[in-house]
Amino acid sequence: MIKLKNVQKIYRTEHVETHALGGLSLSIAAGEFVSVMGPSGSGKTTLLNITGLLDTFDRGSYLLDGRDVSGLSDRQMSKLRNAMIGFIFQSFNLIPDINVFDNIDVPLRYRGWKAKRRREAIEEALGLVGLTSRIKHLPSQLSGGQQQRVAVARALAGNPALILADEPTGNLDSAMAMEIMDLLERINQLGTTLVMVTHDPELANRAQRQLHLLDGQLIDMDFSDGHKPLFVEEEAISAAAE
Amino acid sequence: MLSYQLKNALNSIRNNPILSGLLICAIGLGVAMSTASLTVYYIYSGDPIPHKSDRLFYVQLDNWELSSSSNPQDETAPPTQITYRDLLGIMESDIPTHQSGMVATYPTVHPSGVDQRPFRAKTRMCYADFFPMFEVPFRYGSGWDRRADQNAEPVIVLDAKTNDKLFGGANSVGRTLRIEDREFSIVGVLDPWRPKPRFYDTFGRNATREPEGIFMPFAFVERLELDNMGSTICFGDFDDEFAAFLQSECSWIQMWVQLDDDRQREAYHGFLNAYAQQQKKLGRFPRPLNNRLVPVMSWLRDQEVVPDEAKGVLLISLLFLVVCSVNLIGILLGKFLARAPQVGVRRALGASRFSIFTQHLLECELLGVCGGLLGLGLSIAVLQFVNQSLDRGGLFALDGMMIGAGVVLSLVAGAVAGIYPAWRICRVAPATYLKLQ
Ligand SMILES: Nc1ncnc2c1ncn2[C@@H]1O[C@H](COP(=O)(O)OP(=O)(O)OP(=O)(O)O)[C@@H](O)[C@H]1O
Ligand SMILES: [Mg+2]
Repeated sequence: MIKLKNVQKIYRTEHVETHALGGLSLSIAAGEFVSVMGPSGSGKTTLLNITGLLDTFDRGSYLLDGRDVSGLSDRQMSKLRNAMIGFIFQSFNLIPDINVFDNIDVPLRYRGWKAKRRREAIEEALGLVGLTSRIKHLPSQLSGGQQQRVAVARALAGNPALILADEPTGNLDSAMAMEIMDLLERINQLGTTLVMVTHDPELANRAQRQLHLLDGQLIDMDFSDGHKPLFVEEEAISAAAE
Repeated sequence: MLSYQLKNALNSIRNNPILSGLLICAIGLGVAMSTASLTVYYIYSGDPIPHKSDRLFYVQLDNWELSSSSNPQDETAPPTQITYRDLLGIMESDIPTHQSGMVATYPTVHPSGVDQRPFRAKTRMCYADFFPMFEVPFRYGSGWDRRADQNAEPVIVLDAKTNDKLFGGANSVGRTLRIEDREFSIVGVLDPWRPKPRFYDTFGRNATREPEGIFMPFAFVERLELDNMGSTICFGDFDDEFAAFLQSECSWIQMWVQLDDDRQREAYHGFLNAYAQQQKKLGRFPRPLNNRLVPVMSWLRDQEVVPDEAKGVLLISLLFLVVCSVNLIGILLGKFLARAPQVGVRRALGASRFSIFTQHLLECELLGVCGGLLGLGLSIAVLQFVNQSLDRGGLFALDGMMIGAGVVLSLVAGAVAGIYPAWRICRVAPATYLKLQ
């Protein structure tokens, strides 16, 4: 599903260059649930943005579902993002001036579905997150946990192959966090690949695989003698998947 | 997809009604001023008779003395009108397809109805050819023929308004009307006729007036001793009597001819020069030969029919619209960039840059079109006011072309105001704004 090879991301401002990702290689198979941990500023969000085609990278290559994404036009990239990827953000990022229904409708509109099909998908997704009764509410009329559940519904309504979640529970209390986690796990069990950034080791543990980032590099926590980057070999991954 | 972008654009306009209202008013004012002044300019500067304006010529004869000038701005120009003597002289020609001298007068009409009081009516004294030459439309009857000119037959043509006033709009052909101390019989009634501008007589800033209400054979100028209502310029002395005035070197008559091709035109120009040579022998026309045939559009330009004010106001209005649009750039940019986080979300969920651009430009064009409609409404009101205050009937009105121009102007204003902000907002990097909120 995701194959990053030697991906480098450098943020350049006038005086400093930040190496947000330094030659990172990573492979995630379809249907996996992977968590990403690491200290603040280690490049987790950067990794997720690049994976989600929201940001470009400076070197290396990225195959999404077998397709090389470098050289795609903005239009192709947007289409791919719309068709394949659902996003969940720490700060929910619902559009404030439209109601729950219309928020979930956004990615489906850009996909060009007919009204009937969109309505069905929205109602199904809302049913899954248990918020059918709030369909006409504005985001400001919902609690934080409810807003994040709407965001989850929005991410999964279009039935994407991949969901990217950046600290989805970061702004929620632990009960709410558990609820969201249960939802995400259920979605993963239905076959959706899930990549989740989190600071909470307990939540990270629920993933099938945990990645650790430090200074833009993946590190292998099993070798505690030093921060030795681990280049996850593709063969190893496919072996693990079998 | 377009319908979704339209929906988003409308939403955005509705969510901020006060700001949207202000933007619409700004564009509306600009469009109102522009279309109103464009209409005025267009009416002054248009071709009043497009399919034959290059075949109709205004005749200028230079009978002026050496020791002065008829036109202080252009010493070499012949007088702008001709004398009565010369009119009679050149009307002898049979070269033009049509020809007519003409002058405006103001005689008193005595209606026959008991409840109708006498009134003075603007009357055009002209020859039979006036009607076919200028393609004047008739509702009833027709103009008179050349014989009626020669024999000074007491016939008249009424315009639609006068016929409405006197005969309730009925077919009055064959009925009579008393003007000054004579009975005239009505031979024709016009359909509404409004050349824009009124090219055949533009003197005294009169190009936007309506044509006269009554048309009468020119021969009655002499018989009724009718005074000229327009401008008269003279040199030399003459008695106060009307007969002396007619024989004087006073120029007060407009002369139009229709010449259909170059040969006809050269022949007629030759005729005018021969006439002038002959007059030189009689001791008149002391200047070098300087007789002119001026086509309609050149004549309107010579006469500076488009007032400088109309040009100035048009320029100012268009500039005002530009300034409005340019100011809107900043306001819209602020409005759009405030929405950057939301745009970031839309981009993450699959909106392409192009789609974001379209949505925002559409929003600007919607504001532009709303402003345009408001502007056209205002413009109609402004022109109504101009009509009333200048007593110009319905002359200054928006026609289809001006409405089209208003719509185009508002779309252009929307684009000028919107393209840059829409472009900026579509270029924002989605990743930057997703962390915020
Ligand atoms: N737009 C940017 N311009 C410059 N530097 C940036 C930009 N975005 C991120 N960085 C830098 O890149 C590095 C990685 O940032 P990133 O947001 O990926 O960290 P993170 O692991 O998500 O941290 P956190 O856990 O705090 O969210 C940081 O050092 C950050 O300062
Ligand atoms: Mg982060």
